[in-house]
Amino acid sequence: MTKTIFLVILQAVISFTCLPVSYSASDLIETTCKQTPFFDLCVSTLQADPRSSSADVAGLAHIAADSVNAKATATLNQITGLLKSAGDPNLLKALQGCVDKYNAIIQADIPVAIEAIVKGNPKFAVSSATDAANEAQNCENSFANPPNSPITDSNKAVHDLSTVLESIASLLL
Amino acid sequence: MQNMANSKVGFFLFFALLVGHGIVELEASHHVFKNLQTVQSTASTNQPYRTGYHFQPPRNWINGLMVYKGLYHLFYQYNPKGAVWGNIVWAHSTSKDLVNWTPHDPAIYPSQPSDINGCWSGSATLLPGGKPAIIYTGIDTKNSQVQNLATPKNLSDPYLREWIKSPKNPLMQPTSQNQINASSFRDPTTAWLGPDKKWRVIIGSKINRQGLAILYKSKDFVNWVQAQTPLHSAKDTGMWECPDFFPVSVSGQNGVDTSLTGPSVKHVFKVSLDDTKHEYYTIGSYDNVKDIYKPDKGSVESDSGLRYDYGKFYASKTFLDSVKNRRILWGWINESSSVADDIKKGWAGVHVIPRKLWLAKSGKQLTQWPVAEIEKLRANHVSLSSKLLKGGSVIKVPGVTAAQADVDISFEISDFKKAEVLKPSWTNPQLLCSQKGASVKGSLGPFGLLVLASKDLKENTAVFFRIFKGQNKYVVLMCSDQSRSSLNQDNDKTTYGAFLDVDPLRQLSLRSLIDHSIVESFGGGGKACITARVYPNLAINNAAHLYIFNNGSEAVKIAKLNAWSMKTAKVN
Repeated sequence: MTKTIFLVILQAVISFTCLPVSYSASDLIETTCKQTPFFDLCVSTLQADPRSSSADVAGLAHIAADSVNAKATATLNQITGLLKSAGDPNLLKALQGCVDKYNAIIQADIPVAIEAIVKGNPKFAVSSATDAANEAQNCENSFANPPNSPITDSNKAVHDLSTVLESIASLLL
Repeated sequence: MQNMANSKVGFFLFFALLVGHGIVELEASHHVFKNLQTVQSTASTNQPYRTGYHFQPPRNWINGLMVYKGLYHLFYQYNPKGAVWGNIVWAHSTSKDLVNWTPHDPAIYPSQPSDINGCWSGSATLLPGGKPAIIYTGIDTKNSQVQNLATPKNLSDPYLREWIKSPKNPLMQPTSQNQINASSFRDPTTAWLGPDKKWRVIIGSKINRQGLAILYKSKDFVNWVQAQTPLHSAKDTGMWECPDFFPVSVSGQNGVDTSLTGPSVKHVFKVSLDDTKHEYYTIGSYDNVKDIYKPDKGSVESDSGLRYDYGKFYASKTFLDSVKNRRILWGWINESSSVADDIKKGWAGVHVIPRKLWLAKSGKQLTQWPVAEIEKLRANHVSLSSKLLKGGSVIKVPGVTAAQADVDISFEISDFKKAEVLKPSWTNPQLLCSQKGASVKGSLGPFGLLVLASKDLKENTAVFFRIFKGQNKYVVLMCSDQSRSSLNQDNDKTTYGAFLDVDPLRQLSLRSLIDHSIVESFGGGGKACITARVYPNLAINNAAHLYIFNNGSEAVKIAKLNAWSMKTAKVN
C-alpha cells in the first residue's frame, strides 16, 4: 500500500516537474504588442480573433491587416451614409475625398499588405500600413473646422490600428 | 580573367531588378485586385506629374529594372492591373540610346510551380557565345523564395521578346539541409566567372539581423552548389535585398567586365536595406580564390554608409555597357504621394535617368553622372556667367520650360571666414537639412536653386548648399528641401541631405534634372546625388518657374549657369 502511494506520489512529482513549458499564444501577443505604440488596442484586437491562439508573428500581422480592413470598411459605410444627407459644400468635399482615401485603404493597402506578409516581402506591408494610417489622418485633416469632422473616432481607430499593423509588419523585416 | 563573350550583333549586358512579386495568371479574377479595375478606369486625364523624359510605363506600377544590352533592354517589375505593388510580371522595353524606349510584351510571368506565386527580381548574365540568361526569384506553390533560370526562346530575335524557363527550376532553394530562410532568399545578381571557370552568383538573405550574401557556384549555369561561406555579411543590417557586386577601374571613368580582377580594379559591394529602404555600398577587395569580399578599412556598413543617392532611390542595379565602355546605374524612384493619389492618377513609380558610375579620384567613393545621351533633349539654352549673388537675393532663370529642364550651375566662394561652425554632434546630414531648411538663414548658404516654384514662391523645392567650418577643413552640406514643395498636405515632404566631399573648395557645382514630379540633383559633379518626388498644386507646367537663391548673409558668385528646356522623349 505504502509502495503504491509512494509510486503514485512519485509519478505525480515527475509529471509536474517534467511538464513542458508551453509558450502560450498570449505570450507572443504580449511581446509583439509591446513593440507597437498601442499596446491595449493591439492586444484586444489580436485576442478577439480566434486565429491568434496559434499564430506566429506573420499570422498576427495578417490578423492586424484584417482588422484594419474591417474597421476601414465600417468607416467607409459611415462616410457614404453621411454623404446622403450632407448639405454643406465643405463637408461634402471632405467626405468625398475621404471616400477615395478609404477606397485606397480597402482596395489597395490591405491587399498589398496581406500579400507581402504571406510571400515574405514585409516592407510592402510596412509601407501599405503607413499609407493606411496617413489616409485616415489625411481624411481627418481635410475637414475645414467648421464643419468639424463627423468621423473623428473612426479615423482615429483606423489610424491607430494601421500603426499597430505597421509595427508588427516591421518585426518581419 | 575576363571575357564575357562579345558578339557584334548582340552584346548583351544585363543588369538588374527589383523586388516585387507577382501572382498567378493575369486572369486570376478572384484575386483581391478585382476591384481595382473599376478604380483604374476613372484615372485622371489631367496629368501634371507624368514625366517628360524619365522612364515610366503608361500606367501602373514599376519597381525595378534589368537591363540587358546590345540593344539596351530594360526589364522591370510591373503590375498590369493597378497602381500598387502586385500581380508583378517582367515588363520589357528596348532602346537604342537609353533615352527613347519601345515597349514589348511582358517577358516573364508566373507559369511554373517554381514561380506560380510571383516572378520577383533577378539579373541577367551574358554567357559565352553571346547568350543571355536570366536568374530570378520565383515564389513557389508554398510561398517560398526560390531561384529560377530563363533563357531567350529565339536568339535571332533582336528584341528577345520570348523567354523559356528551365524545366529544372528551381535551381536554388531553401531546404532543411541548407537552413536558408524561405522568406529571406531573393534577388540573384549578375554572375561572374572565377579563375576555376565556375560561375558565381550571390543572393540576398539574412540570419536574424545579420545581412548575408549567399554565394552559389556553377560550371554549367544550371547546377549550382552553395559555397561554404557567404561572399560577405554584416551584423545588424537586416535583410539584404538587391545585392550588386562588381569591379571598378582604379583610374579613369571606364567600366570593366564584371569578372575582372587584379590590381587595376577595386570591387564595389552594394545592398538595398529592407529595414530602412535605403541602400549602402562599400569599396573593397575581392579574394577570388577564397571568394570573400573585404571592404576597405574605415568602411561604414549600415544605413549611415555611402549611398548612390541620398533621396528616394531603391532597388538599384548596375550593368556594363560594353559598347561604350561604361558601367551604368539604374534606380527605382517610388512615389511620395498617397496611394489614393496614385490610384487617381493611375500610375506609380519612375526610374532615374541612367547614370554612368566610376571610382572617384580619392578612391573612397563612387561618382555618378547622367548618361551623355540625355543631353540631346536639351533645347533653348540659357546661360549666365560671373554674376554676384548677394545675400538674401533671388534671381529668376527665364526662357526654359521650368517643369521639364536641365540646369547646371557652379558657384565660386572666395571668402570662407564667415562659415558657420559645424557642431561635432551634427553627423546626420538628412537631419541637419531638415532642421536647417532653405528658409533658415545662414552665413555661407543656403544658396542654390528653387525648382518647380510657383510665381509667389508659395510652392518651391529648394536644392542648395551650406558651407560649414569643420575640424580641419570646410564641410559642404547638400540639401533637397521638399517641405514647401506642395500645398497638398497629403504628400511625403521629407527633406533629404548629404555631405559633399569637395576638395579644394573653390567651385561648387550643382546640376538638377527637373521633370514635373521628379527632381534629380547632382552635387560636385556627381559626388553626392539626391532624388526627390514632388507634386505641386500651383507650380505645374507653364506655371512652374526656376530661380537661383541665396538666403545666407554672405554673397557668393555664380561662376556659370547653363539651363535648357528638355524635349519630351518617347518613353513607351
